Amino acid sequence: MTATFQMPQTDSLGFCNVLMSALGGDGANMAGKLLYKIGCTQFGLDGGYDARYGSEKKGTATDVSVRFCRLGTPIRQSGPTTRPHFLVIFHDDLIEPLDLGAGLAAGAVCIVNSVLPPEKVREMLQLSSGKVICVDATRIAVECGSRLNMPLLAALCHELGFSDEEVMTLIAAQWPRASDQNLRAYSSALSQSHSAAFDSDGRYRLREVTAGQGPIGWKNMHNGGVIDALTHSTINRDNRIAGRGRVPRFDEAACNSCGICLTICSDPGGLLWRSGRMEGIDAQFCKGCMRCVEVCPDTKKGKALKIDYA
Amino acid sequence: MSASLTESPESVARSSTARQTVWLGNGNEAVARAILDIGYDAEGYYPITPSSDVGEAVSKAYAAGKSDIAFIVGTSELAALGICTGVAVAGGRVVDVTSANGLLLKAEQMPAISGLGLPMVLNLSTRDVSAPLNIKNGHSDLYAALGWGWMIFLAPTVQAAYDMNIIAIRVAEAVNLPAIVAYDGFHTSHANRRIEVFADREDVRRFVGPPPFKATLKGENGRFSLLDVGHPRTFGPYMNDDLINAKVQMELKFARAYELLPQLFRDFEALSGRSYGFVQQYGTKSAEKCLVALNTAGEAAKDAVDEIQQSGDAANLLIPTVLRPWPEREIVAAIGDAEYVVVAERASQYGASNYLANEIGAALQRVGNSATVIQRSYGIGGLNFTKDDALKMYGEFGLHGFSSATSGALRARSEDHSGRIDTDDHRPVFDFAPQKAYHGAWPGDPDYHPGQTIKPLTAQECTINEALKSKVDLKILSGMPARFEKHSACPGCGIFTSLNLFLRGIDGHVCLLFNTGCGMVVSTGYPLTSFKVPYFHNLFHNNTSTATGVVEMIKRLRQRGDLPEEVTVVAVSGDGGDDIGMDQVIGAALRNDPFILFEYDNKGYMNTGAQLCYTSYKGQKCSNSHFGEQQAGKRQHHKDIVEILRGTFAPYLATCAESHATDMIRKARQAQATTRAGGFAFVKTLSVCPLNWGMDEHVGPSAVEAAVNACLHPLYEIVNGVTRITVDPERANKKIPAVSALVKMGGAFAHLGRPEYAELAAEIQEEVDRRWNRLKAMAENPAL
Repeated sequence: MTATFQMPQTDSLGFCNVLMSALGGDGANMAGKLLYKIGCTQFGLDGGYDARYGSEKKGTATDVSVRFCRLGTPIRQSGPTTRPHFLVIFHDDLIEPLDLGAGLAAGAVCIVNSVLPPEKVREMLQLSSGKVICVDATRIAVECGSRLNMPLLAALCHELGFSDEEVMTLIAAQWPRASDQNLRAYSSALSQSHSAAFDSDGRYRLREVTAGQGPIGWKNMHNGGVIDALTHSTINRDNRIAGRGRVPRFDEAACNSCGICLTICSDPGGLLWRSGRMEGIDAQFCKGCMRCVEVCPDTKKGKALKIDYA
Repeated sequence: MSASLTESPESVARSSTARQTVWLGNGNEAVARAILDIGYDAEGYYPITPSSDVGEAVSKAYAAGKSDIAFIVGTSELAALGICTGVAVAGGRVVDVTSANGLLLKAEQMPAISGLGLPMVLNLSTRDVSAPLNIKNGHSDLYAALGWGWMIFLAPTVQAAYDMNIIAIRVAEAVNLPAIVAYDGFHTSHANRRIEVFADREDVRRFVGPPPFKATLKGENGRFSLLDVGHPRTFGPYMNDDLINAKVQMELKFARAYELLPQLFRDFEALSGRSYGFVQQYGTKSAEKCLVALNTAGEAAKDAVDEIQQSGDAANLLIPTVLRPWPEREIVAAIGDAEYVVVAERASQYGASNYLANEIGAALQRVGNSATVIQRSYGIGGLNFTKDDALKMYGEFGLHGFSSATSGALRARSEDHSGRIDTDDHRPVFDFAPQKAYHGAWPGDPDYHPGQTIKPLTAQECTINEALKSKVDLKILSGMPARFEKHSACPGCGIFTSLNLFLRGIDGHVCLLFNTGCGMVVSTGYPLTSFKVPYFHNLFHNNTSTATGVVEMIKRLRQRGDLPEEVTVVAVSGDGGDDIGMDQVIGAALRNDPFILFEYDNKGYMNTGAQLCYTSYKGQKCSNSHFGEQQAGKRQHHKDIVEILRGTFAPYLATCAESHATDMIRKARQAQATTRAGGFAFVKTLSVCPLNWGMDEHVGPSAVEAAVNACLHPLYEIVNGVTRITVDPERANKKIPAVSALVKMGGAFAHLGRPEYAELAAEIQEEVDRRWNRLKAMAENPAL
C-alpha cells in the first residue's frame, strides 16, 4: 500500500473527481468500481463511487463518477460529480451531443477513446486548459481480447499517478481468467497513447454544466405530464449512438422482399419498406443488432443483408 | 462489488469492544450485510428499484451456503409482506425491503403488522411515488408511512444504513413494534462508500439478542407464537369498541421505545464506536438560522455549514435520525436560538404545509418558541441536493445574508423581516401554506412551441387485414403503419419486435396501455414519446383493471354516439405484470372485458435487474436465484399463465412467437375478432432479453424458434375452451430436447447443458414433456 500517495488535483473540499462517460454495456460501471477499489485498498485513499441511474438500457449514454479524497476527509455530497478533474470518454462521438466539455476543471485531464489527434479532440471539448490523451481503445480491446474499459482504465490509472505495477497486479487478481488479455490491453494503452497539453490560452473559457432544465416547466407542462405525440415524437432521435453506426449492408439486387426481416426487426422502422418492397436500412433508426442478417435467406444471389466489416 | 472481495483484513483499532472491518460497498449491499449479520429467519422479497439488489445479495449469500435465511420471493409487494407477517406470527425474525409504490402496495398490511405487535424491520430505499413514473429519490413513500404505527429510523449514510438495521431490530423486539429504516434511493442505496462493519457476526447477534422463537413460545416480553400448540391462542381477532384500547397500547410502546433508545444508542456506541441519537445537530446552536434536512441532504448541508462558519458567520443544521417515536424535545433543543428554521423536505404535502415543517412548527409553538418556519420542497424526483443548494437555502431568507464571498452571491434579495418568500424569482406562492416554496423547479419557456413531426394514423391506412381475409401476406402487411416510432430498448430486444409484428395483425385504431416495465421505460422518457397512437401507462399491477375502465367508457361513448371511431384496446404487460397483477388479469378474464392483453414474457423482472419471475424456467440463473452449494438457480418450474387462465373460460387464449410470423398474425386477428365480439383475449409471446439472458443480440429469432421446437413455449390457442395446437414441432419432426433450446438462449440457461446439471436438465425435460402431453391430450379432445 502506498500510504503517501498524493492526488494530482483536488477541489475545495479535498476531492479529486473522476467522471467516465460511456454507453450502457461498455463496462464503465465495472471500471469505476474497480478504480474506486484500487484507490481505497492500494493507495490509502477514501472517496465515493456513484453512478447516474435512470432508465438507461444497453447502448444509451451513462456516466460513472469516482471522487477520491484523503482518508479522514468527510464524504458528504452524494451523486456523481459535475466538476471532473479527470474525464474518461469511451466514444469520441459522445463529446458533442452530451457537451462533455462543460464542467471540466481548469487543467483537467481528458482520456478519450479516439483515433483523432489530441488537438482536434480539444476543439471538440472546448477545453480551456489541461491535457488530452487519445487512445485507440476500441482497436486495442479487439486486438487484446479485453473489454473496452481496460485500455481506458489503464490510461486513467497512469495519469492519476497510480503505480502501473500495483494496478496490474490487482486487475490480474480481479479477473484471473482474463488476466492475459487485460494486461496486454493495459500495456498497449500505455505505449500507444497520444497526448498533448494545452495552456490556458484564452481560446475557451471554463463552462458550468447547464442543469437539465428543459423548455417545459411547471408553467407550460400539460396536465399530469401528458406528452403530445404529434409534436414530441422520438421520430427525430438518432439511434446511431446506440448502434455505434454499425448497421447491416443492404444488397438490393439480392433481395426478393420476402418479408422475414420485417417480422424480427427489434427496431421496426430501421428497415425501409415501401409498397411491399424492402429498400434499405435507416441508419438513424437501426441499432445494429443484426437480427435481420441472421434470418435473411441465402439465395443464389447471396444474402441481401450482410454485416459490413469495411 | 461483492463484500467478500472488498473486505480488508485490517481491523479498526479503537475503544470499541467489537472488532470492526473496513468494507467497501453501496447502501443496498450494506443493508444486505446487516441482514446477514443479524441472522434473520426469513426475508420476504419482491423487486423494486432502487432497493432490489438488497435481496439479490442476500439470496447470493444463501446460495453460497453463507446463510440459512429463508429467502422467499412473493408474487407482489403485498404478498412479500404477507409472507413476513406469517413468519413473524409464528415467532420468527423477519425482514423486508422496498421502495415507493412497493411500500404503498404493502400499505394495508402495514398497520396490521403494527397493530398485531409483530416486530420486524422494513428497509425503505426511498423513491418518489408518482405518475408520471419516476424511479429516483423522493420521500413521499416515507411520509406516507408516518402514521402507520411503525417506528421510523433514518440512515443518512451508507454506514448508518448498516448500523440502523442493527439498532432497529433490537428496539423492535424490545417493544414489539415494527420498524422502518429509511435511506435515500440511489443517493445512498447506490453510493459506494468505505464503511466499517462488525468483523464477527456473533458480536451483532449478541447485541440484537437470540432469535425470538423460543422466547415467543414461552410468551416472553408479551409476544407469543402462533405455534404454541400446548397453549393455543387466537391472533388477530375481530374487535369492535375495544380497538381504541389496542391503539393506546400501541402508542405506549412508542413511549417505551423513546425511553429505551438513548441507552440502546449508547450500547451500540460502546460496541461499535459509532454514535447515533434521535437527531444530529451540526454547527452552532446559537446561530440565527437553522436548516432541517433528512438523510443525504442533511449530510450535504454539513459542507455548507463548514463553509459559512469558516467565513466567520454561524449556521445551525439539524438532521433528524428518528421520526417515530417523534423526538420533539431533542428537536426543539437542537434548533437552539434560531430565528429562522428552514425545513427542507424531499416531498410536498400538496395543498398544505409540509409534513416535517408542520410537526416542527407545532413543536416550537408548544414551547413558546416563535421562530419562523420556512418550508422548502426540493429534489422531488431525485435531483441532487448539494452544498450549493444548502448555501442557497441559508442565504435566501432572514435579516441579512452571509458576508462570505461564497454565499454573498446567494444572499437574499428580500430584506423583508417577516421572512416572507421573495417572489422576484417567480416561484409560486401558496396562500394555504405560508413560507412554502419549491427549490429546484423551473417554469419553462413560454415561447416554446415545437412543430408537428408526425401525423395521426387513420383507421383507413391501418385497415389491411380485413381485405386479406384468412390470407397472411407479409409483403402486403409491410404496409401496416407502425404504431410506434424509435424507442431506446437494448439492441435485439424482443419486446417491440413481437409487439410490432402482433400489431400488424390488428386493424384500425389501437389504444395501447402498458404495465410498468422495460417496454414503457424505453418508450416514453419525458418529454418525448415513441407512440403514435393513444397510450397510457398506469401502475405495474393494475393495467388490466385500467383497460377494463377504458373499454367500459368506449362502450358507453359509442352507445351514446359520442365516439364514432372503433378503438381496439391492447394492454401490454411483461410477465412480471402478470405476477403482481395476476388477480386483476383473472378478474378481467372472468368479467370477459373486451380488450386484448398481450404479454411479453422475457422470463424475469428485467427492468429491475433480472430477478426471477414465476415464469422463469427451473434452474434459470436470475439475480436473486443464484448458484452455489445450497441452490441451483430458480427452484420451481415455470408458471403457465395460459393454463391458469383456462379456468376463467375466457373466449380466446393463445401463445405466439416472433419465429412464427404467420401464426402470430392469425392470432392477432383472432384476438381482435374476439374483442369486437365483446370478449377478452389473452395472447402471450416469448420475448428474448439479450442483456439479461446473456445472449448475442442477433440470436433472438433462432433462440425463440428453438424454444418453440423444444415445447418450452408451445404455440397453441384455446377458442371458447377448445384447444388447438397451431404449431406442432413433433408432427413436423422438429422437436428438440429442452436443453438444446436452453443452451441457445444464453448464459442464464446455458449451464443446464453442462454434465453437472444433467439431473436438473432431465427434470426440466420431464416437466416439459408432461405439459406437452397434457396439451396434446386436450387438443385431441375438445371436451377437455
